[in-house]
Order: sequence, then structure tokens, then C-alpha cells
Amino acid sequence: VTYKWLSYTLGVHVNQAKQMLYDYVERKRKENSGAQLHVTYLVAGNLLQNGHVCHKVAVVREDKLEAMKSKLSTIASVHVYSIQKALLKDSSPLYNTDYDIVKTNLQHCSKFSAIRCAAAVPRTPPDAPRAPAASQGPQRQREPDTAGAVNGHGPPAAKPSPQQHKGIMGMFAAKAASRPQDTHKEAKAEAKAEAKEAPGVSAASSKPPTKNNIMNNFFGKAAMNKLKVSSVPEQPKEEKEVVKPSAAVAEPEPSPNTVAEKAGKKTESARIQQKDKKSKTKRVDRSDDEEERDPENVKKKRKRIKQLQSDSSDEEDVPPSPTPEEERAPSPPPVPALKTELEPASTEVSAGGRKRKRKRVLKSKMFIDEEEGCMGKTG
Amino acid sequence: MFSEQAAPTAQGLLAPPSAEPPTFPRVPVSGYSDCSQHFQLGERSFSRQYAHIYAVRLAGMRPGLEQRARSRWGNDIALRKLSELQAGEKCCVVGTLFKAMQLQPSILQEISEEHNLVPQPPLPKYIQPSDELILEDELQRIKLEGAIDVQRLVTGTILAVYGSEQDDGRFLVEDHCFADLPPPLPWNGPSSDRFVLLASGLGLGSVSGEALLSTQLLVDVVTGQLGAEGEQSCAAHITRVILAGNLLSQNTQSRDTINKAKYLTKKTQAASVEAVKMLDEILLQLCSSVPVDVMPGEFDPTNYTLPQQPLHRCMLPLASAYATLRLVTNPYQANLDGVRFLGTSGQNISDIFKYSSMDDYLEILEWTLLAGHISPTAPDTLGCYPFYKSDPFILTECPHVYFCGNAPHFQSKLFQGKEGQRVLLVTVPDFSATQTACLVNLRDLTCQPITFSGFGADSED
Repeated sequence: VTYKWLSYTLGVHVNQAKQMLYDYVERKRKENSGAQLHVTYLVAGNLLQNGHVCHKVAVVREDKLEAMKSKLSTIASVHVYSIQKALLKDSSPLYNTDYDIVKTNLQHCSKFSAIRCAAAVPRTPPDAPRAPAASQGPQRQREPDTAGAVNGHGPPAAKPSPQQHKGIMGMFAAKAASRPQDTHKEAKAEAKAEAKEAPGVSAASSKPPTKNNIMNNFFGKAAMNKLKVSSVPEQPKEEKEVVKPSAAVAEPEPSPNTVAEKAGKKTESARIQQKDKKSKTKRVDRSDDEEERDPENVKKKRKRIKQLQSDSSDEEDVPPSPTPEEERAPSPPPVPALKTELEPASTEVSAGGRKRKRKRVLKSKMFIDEEEGCMGKTG
Repeated sequence: MFSEQAAPTAQGLLAPPSAEPPTFPRVPVSGYSDCSQHFQLGERSFSRQYAHIYAVRLAGMRPGLEQRARSRWGNDIALRKLSELQAGEKCCVVGTLFKAMQLQPSILQEISEEHNLVPQPPLPKYIQPSDELILEDELQRIKLEGAIDVQRLVTGTILAVYGSEQDDGRFLVEDHCFADLPPPLPWNGPSSDRFVLLASGLGLGSVSGEALLSTQLLVDVVTGQLGAEGEQSCAAHITRVILAGNLLSQNTQSRDTINKAKYLTKKTQAASVEAVKMLDEILLQLCSSVPVDVMPGEFDPTNYTLPQQPLHRCMLPLASAYATLRLVTNPYQANLDGVRFLGTSGQNISDIFKYSSMDDYLEILEWTLLAGHISPTAPDTLGCYPFYKSDPFILTECPHVYFCGNAPHFQSKLFQGKEGQRVLLVTVPDFSATQTACLVNLRDLTCQPITFSGFGADSED
């Protein structure tokens, strides 16, 4: 038990934690309960070394404490560093404890410290789509794991929707890689989205391909009751596809990026994808299904849905204007949910009928995918 | 200086829990400005020859050297170019030095077929008694002999020699001088105690983990978690932390995986990936509490040639979110609270160490200051970008604190110049080896080392 561990676990100031440890030691020793406690102290002070005065900070065992104190000419501070039942051979367990506790509390590691720095604030990223970066960073990293591991589970809508978006973007990006005659803007957008996805996705794609197969098998066997099932196998697939082309892409930017941007691009791409029949139904349906489960209902969304309903009725060339508007949306969670709602709103009608088609389409896709997977393995 | 203030409340924390403990606000950064713009390379093109950098270096330092020569040897001495030399005439010549060394690793020798030699293993020093000095200017070169210390000087130094040409074509040197310290900068230092922590050679990613606890202790002291109240309030006066290079250890540089077959190394990651993640966590802890400047070093993932460009912020995703993190170039110059800092991660000093008889890092540091150039060996033995417009390594303004990282041990000296310059020379030791960092007090330009230690199985510390 180090003072830092105590401080984080109990949520107290570090100085209080040190005092608590001291108090505990004193009380236990007075009680003479027989349990031997070994204490390490932190000693800091001035020491004459090599001709100049050197400030030394050291962690010492209790038995060496007095020796160290006598070595120092001026003692700046002494306090309890840690308490343990067993005698420590060296200080690595202390380091490990501290490392672990700091790792679990990385985002607010200065909360209990004695010094507050006014200048140290997580910077708000320059463009709006990046607004979630700092706060959502750790969450986003956990998302792929949860999405991959869960089957049929219904996490909050906001989380899966970025996931789905990523998946969709990945698919589209893969398509874009094979279709160089895309417009310059789109290609750039795809590359960007692809690049941005790659790190987030590659984290998830660390899930071994076996998971992919498991999902596929499950999907093949079980009836399509929950949408997650369809979406999840597609995701690892898409991730796989993304991982491959991402190798060709330049150094990807970090994952905490532009949910909204991606979502914006996604709608753009989704519309373009509608030209591609094979993937269109599935993708659109998938987003449909998400939407159906989306509990959020923002007024804004309704407005947009109406707009897009009129737009999507054409289902021709994607007007780029809605997407920049969407990109500028201030907060990401409403935005992705908003966008996902756009799709289903337009295709809700055919959702039911397409479900059966989707099964078939998906199966064939799975087959191809497995083939791809096999080929990938042998290649 | 750190400790005296803290002494009274030293034992304060050996007591039962008291009332709400105080938190100290960090001393705010009053004046910071980054002056290292000329070290940042925009678009880089390597299609130019390196001869240009010598030409601009000579052209840049010639006026200053001529002035120094006149002030030293009289106003009426003859300043000649090598092409105008006459035998027997005492004159002064300004030129670039070239040291012809037999042991110098030469790529031409390596690939020359007649020699058929195995490439030379790296030696600690390449000097030999048979080395010769040659002075070059724009058009000609001439061998030097006489009152000049061949072993001490290195290639690329611009200097002025005073002497005469002999009949056999050599130049007999009677005296020589360097550019000397540049004109001093006005002193605007703070009036109260402000500290800057200099550390280098964190060496993350190394196989041995001994320095990890010390690194954690360093972070704890700076962020104010360690120490009694007095010490914490002193730590609140640390306005900045400068990490001068070698954040990753040399172990991360192993390129064995290139030689192995692809199927064996498919799943292995470069060791630097883990090390950078660890670095990111440590920087995050530091950045949430104090402004940090991170300079790249020899083993860090950035370009090899000087000036090394800043580490890319996408490698440090967690820490980059904080505005207190600054990723800066390798020779780094900045104004902190009115005090001008200039420093490198040590590659220039260790390169001079290899090719000169000077053994002491502090001595070499002082010598570069006197020679007016941060790294004279730059294109010759140390990788450098082919500058052609101007040489950014020439010292044009005298810094107040001049440091170099990754030195074998800590040394510091307050150097007084002739025109009233005061420079604090600091050699920052390698933290992974010595567990020592430096605290510079900006108020009175003093420096104190700070050592951290844990306890091992058999250590007596």
C-alpha cells in the first residue's frame, strides 16, 4: 500500500494519505497486535556529493531511515511512502503498485496532487468535429472492444452508431480504394476517414479473425432477431478490409478524431453507395436497424429527416451541402445519431421486405469474406 | 536552495491526518517565447551539396572574426585570403579548419575494393598523433603547423590564424583566435525563485527497469505528490520541465527484425512502440501539472540529421491533449521568463568528444561557446541538413543558460564573458544511468542536481 494508491483509492489529497499511513502505523504499533508491519519512508534533503550540494530524494526502508537522515546535511522532507506486511527486497513492487494505480486513473492524475497548474487544461481541439477527442478518447478506445465482444447486446445508441459509422466508412473506403475514378473530394475524404479509422479500427481488429468466423457462423445458424448480429460480423469484416488498404495509406492520424466528420462523410458516401446495389441494401438496412433502436429523439433530427427525405427521394448524386452542415454540428452524439436517422427515415418502408434479402445478401457476402479470409491466410 | 525553504516543515507529515491539506498553485508562466524557429525545417530537399553550408558558415562568421582579430593583434594587421598569401609575410587568415584523421571512418575506404576492409568498429576516440590540420577558405587550402593544438581542434571550426607562410607551402601559426562569445542579451530574469527542471536520457524501453522508479519519483516530485508540504511548495516554483533528448533507450533501436525472415517477425512490434506508450503516460502525468518541452534525441523516433525536428504529436495522443506539452526541435532555444535558454540533446558534444582530445563535456561545451558555433563538426561527422542560405548553428546571441543533454555526469559552471556575458553552462546527465536531473534557478542562475533512488536488494543508499 503506497500513499499514492491510498490517495487514489480513497479520493483524498496525497498529504492526507501520507498522514493516514503514518497514523495507521503508529496505532498498530501501539496496539502491539503482533502483525509485523514494514514501512518505507521517503527522505529528501541536501547531500554533499562530488563537491557540490546535491538534492537527494530517496525511498528507504525503515531500518535504513536513520542512516539516510544522518547522511543528509539538511532534511527537506520525510514521510511515509508505503506500508506492507512483508519485507521488501527491492522497490519494484512499490513501482508496480504506483504504475497500476496511475494507469487506471490517467485522466485525472493531478487531482489529488498538492500542486494545481492553471495552465494545464486539456486543449479544446481546433475544429468542431474533434470536440469529443479529449473526453471521448478513452471511451472510443474501449468501444471497439465492447462492440466486438458483444452479440445482441444493446449498448447506448451513441456508442454503436460511431462504431457502425466506422464500419460503413471502412466499407466505403475499401470500395474507394478499388475505384480510383471517385471524385477528388471523395477520395480525399475517404482516405482521411480511412486513415482516421484505421487506428481506431486496428485496435478492434486486433480481435482475431476467429471472432469473425464465430460471428458468421452464428449468424448463419441463428435467425435474424437482433440487428447487432448482422452489424457485428460486418464490422470485423469491414475492419479487416480497412486494415488491408490502410497499410497503403499514409501514417494514420490518431483515433480520437472526427466522429462527426466521419458521420458526415458517411452520409455522403452512403448516398453514393446507394448506386452500388450489392452493398447498398445491406448498409442502408444496417443503419436502418440502428436507427430503429435509437431511443434519442432530438427536434433537430426531425427537421433534418424531413429535409433528407425530400432529398433522398431522388437518391441520386449526393448534394454535398448537407454534409458540411452536418459536420459543423457542435456535439457528436446527436450528430451521428442524427445521421443514422437520416437513412432509416428514408428507407424505413422497405426495411421489412429487405430483411429477407439481406439475409441472403449477407450470407453470400460472408461466403466471399470467408473466402477472402482463407485466401488471406494462405497468402 | 530547494531544501532550506522546506526544512521547517520537514516532519510535518509524520502525524495523524490533519485538516484539509493545502494545495499550492503552480507558479504561472509569465514569459515564454520559443526562439527556435530557425531550427525548424519546412520543406526539405536533400538535392544540394554540403559545400554550401561551409561557404555560408565562413561568410557568416568572417566579419566577426576579422573584428576579433583586429582587436587582438592590432588594427593594422594584414587580413589576407589564402590566394593572396606571400611567403614570409605576417598576416592573418580566416578560414575553416579541416582535420585530416587517419582513423576517421570513411565511407570511401569502406567500399573501396582494393582495401577490402571490414568496416571499422566504432571507437571512443578517433584522434591520433599523426592528425593534421588544414585551413581552407573559399578557394584554397593550406597546411597548418606551429602554435596550434592539433589534437584539440575539430573539423569545421572557423578561426583566424596569425602567422606567416613558409617556403615549403605550410603556414606557420603564431597565434589563433576564435569568434568568442557573441554579444550579450539583456537580463530580464525573475525576481523570485523560479526553477526549471532539466532532465535527459530517460531511456524508456530499456530492458532493465531500475530507472523506472526513479523516473516515477521525478514525476512525483514535480507534480507535487511527493515530499512534505515545504517541499511541495518549492516544487510549485518549478515553472517548466525540459526533457533534453533520448527519451527512448538505445535498446529500442535494435533492428534485428530486419535480418530475420518475415514469417518469424510478423507478430513482433518494434520495441519503441511500447516505449512511446510509456513515454506518453509519463508525459501525461507531467503535463497535467507543469509545462513540458520535449526535445528529441539520438534514439528518438524523429529524423537523424541535425536539426532534429520535433516528435510528432500523434505519437503521444494522451499527452497531446494538454496545451502544456510542447514538442520542440533538437537544438532548442527559448526565452523563459526573460532568461534565454539554448541547448541540445548532446549529439554535437559527444561528436566533438570523439574527434578531439578534450575529455570533459563541460569543457567541450565551453569551447563551442567560445568558437561561436553549436556544432562545428556538423556536416562532416555528424548528420546535418544541407543548409545553403544560412547556418543556423552559428551563435549570434549569447544565451543565459547553455545546456547539453546525455552527458556522463552532471557539471555546471557560470561562465563570465569579456563583455559582461553571464552564461550558465550545464551538462545534464543521462537519467537512466545516473538518476540525476538538474534544477536551474532562474533568479540567480545557479543549478542544483537532484538525485532519485529507490532501494535494491543489496544497495546501501
